[in-house]
Amino acid sequence: MSKVIANIRLFFQGAVLSYIALFAWLRPSTYIATKVVGPLAQILFFTLMGKFGTSGESADFYIIGNAIQITALSGIYGVTFSLAGDRWNGTLPYLFGTPANRMTMFLGRAVIHIIDGMFGVLIGFTWGVTLLGLDLSNTDPWALILVIAVTTFSTSGLGLMLGSLSLITRNVMFINNTAYFLLLVLSGSNIAIDRLPSALQAISNVLPLTRGIASARAIIDGATFRDVRPAMLEEIGIGIIYIMFGYVLFRWIEVLAKRRGTLEAM
Amino acid sequence: MKPGMLKAYIHVIKLAFIFTLKQSMTDAFILFGIFVQPLLIAIMALFILGDQGDELVIFIVVGSGLTGLWDSVLFQSGNSITRERWTGTLEVLVAMPTPIAVIVFGKNLAFVTQALGSMIVAYTFASIIFGYPLSIESPMLFILSIVLTVLSFVCLGLVLATLFVLNPDVQRWQNGLEFPVFILAGFLFPIAILPMWTTPLSYILAPYWAAVALHLSSSGKPNILEMGLPWVMMVLLGVLYLFLAFWLFRKMLFKARVDATLSGQ
Amino acid sequence: MNTIEVRDLRRIYKTTVGVVRRKIKEVVAVDGITFDVNRGELFGLLGPNGAGKTTMIKMLTTLLIPTDGTANILGYDVVHQANAIRSRIGFIFGGERGLYWRLSGIDNLRYFASLYHVDPEVTMKRIPQLLELVGLSDRGDEKVEGYSRGMKQRLHIARTLLHDPEILFLDEPTMGLDPVGGREIRQVIRDLQSEKKTILLTTHYMFEADALCERVAVIDQGRIVALDTPEALKQGVSDLSVIEIEVFGVPEEVMNQIRNLPFVDTVSVEDLDQKQALHVHSAKGSEAIPPLLSALESVRVGKVTVREPTLEDAYVRLVGGKV
Repeated sequence: MSKVIANIRLFFQGAVLSYIALFAWLRPSTYIATKVVGPLAQILFFTLMGKFGTSGESADFYIIGNAIQITALSGIYGVTFSLAGDRWNGTLPYLFGTPANRMTMFLGRAVIHIIDGMFGVLIGFTWGVTLLGLDLSNTDPWALILVIAVTTFSTSGLGLMLGSLSLITRNVMFINNTAYFLLLVLSGSNIAIDRLPSALQAISNVLPLTRGIASARAIIDGATFRDVRPAMLEEIGIGIIYIMFGYVLFRWIEVLAKRRGTLEAM
Repeated sequence: MKPGMLKAYIHVIKLAFIFTLKQSMTDAFILFGIFVQPLLIAIMALFILGDQGDELVIFIVVGSGLTGLWDSVLFQSGNSITRERWTGTLEVLVAMPTPIAVIVFGKNLAFVTQALGSMIVAYTFASIIFGYPLSIESPMLFILSIVLTVLSFVCLGLVLATLFVLNPDVQRWQNGLEFPVFILAGFLFPIAILPMWTTPLSYILAPYWAAVALHLSSSGKPNILEMGLPWVMMVLLGVLYLFLAFWLFRKMLFKARVDATLSGQ
Repeated sequence: MNTIEVRDLRRIYKTTVGVVRRKIKEVVAVDGITFDVNRGELFGLLGPNGAGKTTMIKMLTTLLIPTDGTANILGYDVVHQANAIRSRIGFIFGGERGLYWRLSGIDNLRYFASLYHVDPEVTMKRIPQLLELVGLSDRGDEKVEGYSRGMKQRLHIARTLLHDPEILFLDEPTMGLDPVGGREIRQVIRDLQSEKKTILLTTHYMFEADALCERVAVIDQGRIVALDTPEALKQGVSDLSVIEIEVFGVPEEVMNQIRNLPFVDTVSVEDLDQKQALHVHSAKGSEAIPPLLSALESVRVGKVTVREPTLEDAYVRLVGGKV
């Protein structure tokens, strides 16, 4: 029993730690710049390009796609930095020296970023409605929030995997940026999946976000949660698979570190 | 300025240029900004802007190349002084007989020049992978426009670099400045689709005039007169940025010597 | 005209403390310092960490504006004629920062030479000589990130000699080096001294100041507490002997008791592995041992020795037992 309590405590300590790390960097002006204005500019850029273009997609297509994509800002950058921070601070060997449950330690890092990510998406939709005329009158708000929550979870799963990778590479930013932009191309946020070459479609189907964005579009178009439930279950499954991959990688890095005795040197 | 000085400064700019290239060739963050991101933007633009013929493809190649140039100015040139502070070299540079502005000019020239690579990558990719026959309609005008673009971007980079060092609060907006300039400068769609009130903002941005000049000369056969306006504006804005930068440099150096902020992290 | 003239120099740092209620806190780092350095002299600034040595050096190298007072280098004012000074001085701030790690040693030197406006041809001739001087001839082509700390610090010395400056400011040049690395740097400094460079050196190692400097200013809390040749400073304590007593854990009240003994001048404690060494300065020499031991009755005592004072003892006396 006490073991369960210890693990719960560890889980929340991880959450609190990454929360502190997040908000030490975060001042109101920074938050506004990176989480409010930045995403707005990205939504505008693609929506305007769509308006100028002739691909036939509606403005709503880009607004919804890019609003949901905001979740990747916290899911990828936030989560990886929370893990990579241990490497930069040189605290990794100390963490690996504790008897703590690794899974709890690992998952605790993502919690705060899931909440932050959902909040970011809501800000994105607020922009869409107030500035760009996104029509939510046909939308079941709870279904949309549920879709956002599930998508944020699965994207954070990818973040945890990339975060583990960031422990063994110097180029965290390169991996993060590439992942973020590949999601922009492949998740359907800006290009309808069926227009992609079939090889790329296969990749889209194993990425987080893809089903989330499609489901959000359906819900806003009037669908019920029941309609998107299969896709959402798959999205959760994808999130779990990425978390498992990330966790295995995390443990493997620990073993590697112990064998070579060189964590900071990497 | 003594006559020998100019020669010495040019030598400094040359070496700052070479060594900055040497250092950034292995920097994955820079490689992403120059190659990966503009390429992915180009791919998205190809899908979003749709099939409008070869002329549009060269528009996309130039436009996404410009996003790479702006990213380089914003993130590399913008951090060119801040980064010297992190490595502890800033105070060494300040106590040199060479004005730090000359050094930073050389560094930024390297950043912007290497970012031209993004245009070449997008060009090669579009012509090889997508099989579009690509040609620059007015090569001479295009090359001259590139030269002016590079110089005006470097001047803008000097302003950003000093601004960011002087005011960390402004630096926090760095990430938030990326897409707004993509939009206001009309890299991938004309600013005519924007609300009227944003037009003056576009006009004071050298990137906007660079986009006008490069798009005009790459996809059409403009006469010298048409090219005149964007060229003159790039020169004027470049000079304006330069004056602004020198004023900021003086402010920065004085402030640093008073507040002891040269060696900070 | 002296090479370096410092008059009543002061520097105050203002820092804001507190997040909610911001208060401005003033710290006086340099508090009215006056001294001169002669041409060709090796002058030392000696003091504990935080005494104001680095602040002094930064003001003299034009990187920091004094709050008050004046400093002239070769007759130029450090505030208003900074540019005239910059091409005539060289400086290093101890530690390994301040180099471009992704570039080779030679590339670093080429780059800095251009910033000092050294003619490219002269540069190409001088770099091998300087690498030779600092013992990096066979490693110049390698990237600096692979250098040891000592190598980086020696490269710094080469960097600062590129433009053949008249004056060198060396701030803790041996900081953080192992004994061998420190000795190599001191040898380079001696070589520079024989070339008649004016050198201002800061250190908190007494033996370093003793071994290198012609005159030493001891700084404590931003003020000069003594300024003389190392020999003269040692003279100041020559009336005293130093009794070293090994002890295993001394309670504070016993320390106070010893401090209050009439024949004791100063006492300092040096922490060794599992024991401490008491350094007792006294004019009574070995005669002081019996009363000291009786004061230490309750404490386990090891070896006891009596020796002549060193510069370190003079320094300890000047800064009042803080090391």
